[in-house]
Amino acid sequence: MKKYLPSIVCGFGAGVLQIVPFVKSFSCCFIMPIAAFLALILDQKANHTIGRILTKKAVYIGLMTGIFAAIFGSAFEIFITFITRQNDIIAAFPDLQRMLDTFPITEDIKREVLYLFQNVRTEILATGFSWIYTLSILVNNFIINLIFGAIGGLAGSQIINSRIDNSQNNF
Amino acid sequence: MRLSIKLVIVLLVLIWCLGIFSEWLIPFNNKITIALPFLHKTYSLVCHQIKTKLITNGSYETMVCARCSGIYLGSLISSIALIFFNFRKSLGIKLLLIFSAPMLLDVFLYTINVYSYSKLIAFSTGLLFGSVGFLYLYNGLRQLFVELNSGKT
Repeated sequence: MKKYLPSIVCGFGAGVLQIVPFVKSFSCCFIMPIAAFLALILDQKANHTIGRILTKKAVYIGLMTGIFAAIFGSAFEIFITFITRQNDIIAAFPDLQRMLDTFPITEDIKREVLYLFQNVRTEILATGFSWIYTLSILVNNFIINLIFGAIGGLAGSQIINSRIDNSQNNF
Repeated sequence: MRLSIKLVIVLLVLIWCLGIFSEWLIPFNNKITIALPFLHKTYSLVCHQIKTKLITNGSYETMVCARCSGIYLGSLISSIALIFFNFRKSLGIKLLLIFSAPMLLDVFLYTINVYSYSKLIAFSTGLLFGSVGFLYLYNGLRQLFVELNSGKT
């Protein structure tokens, strides 16, 4: 369990920043890579290691951070939607209708899109839960967080190793 | 790094960048409209998507803000350039800090109202950061393949 602790802590932080209302307005493409980078540093501190970090290990920690961010992020989002019966899809529905009117698309496509999202909206307003919405959240969170976590691990290991190389050269 | 791997990397970054401009592709394929709300949700994980900061063309908007669009397009440019050039230099954090300085300075200056938000400045500073930031990712991938091939544990 101890070896996953840095990933759990940083994944939790990233999950919160991506999902919780208001805080999420600060979300950006750096959250996941920075979380993975911090997990690498925490891992080194927890294991009292000061040597070079293997890229393989860095990617693994990045991926684990991504997995935990996806788990926490998805759980928060599904829970908040269930409690409040409000989410991005419901908030953006009037905008979606307006947007569709401005696009040069056929009436069939317009009807199809509105039918799909009207169903999701009705389910969420009535029960606070929609299978389509939940599935899209899970797929999105897992794919994106895993990719960006791995990117953070890869780039983070380069920065940490170059810092170690520099300090050894200076020594 | 093998050419095939470099091409796969370019392809992946290209798909990600096409996703950013998916609304702009609607005139070519109407069915993209069905995926738009899902794509919007996907990109919301990596960007605040504030309406006034999106790049617009008539009724079409990008899925991420001008700065993020710059970062990803910068990465795409670097990934294409790396097909033709071999990059083997070890990178310290100093280079990343230098190339992220214009971006951070822009964020700071418009936040304290020295000037108002400019999509062009945000895009160009993002482009600069993205093109250099990708080198770190590329170096990491190169190192990863070396480790995997040598069976290092």
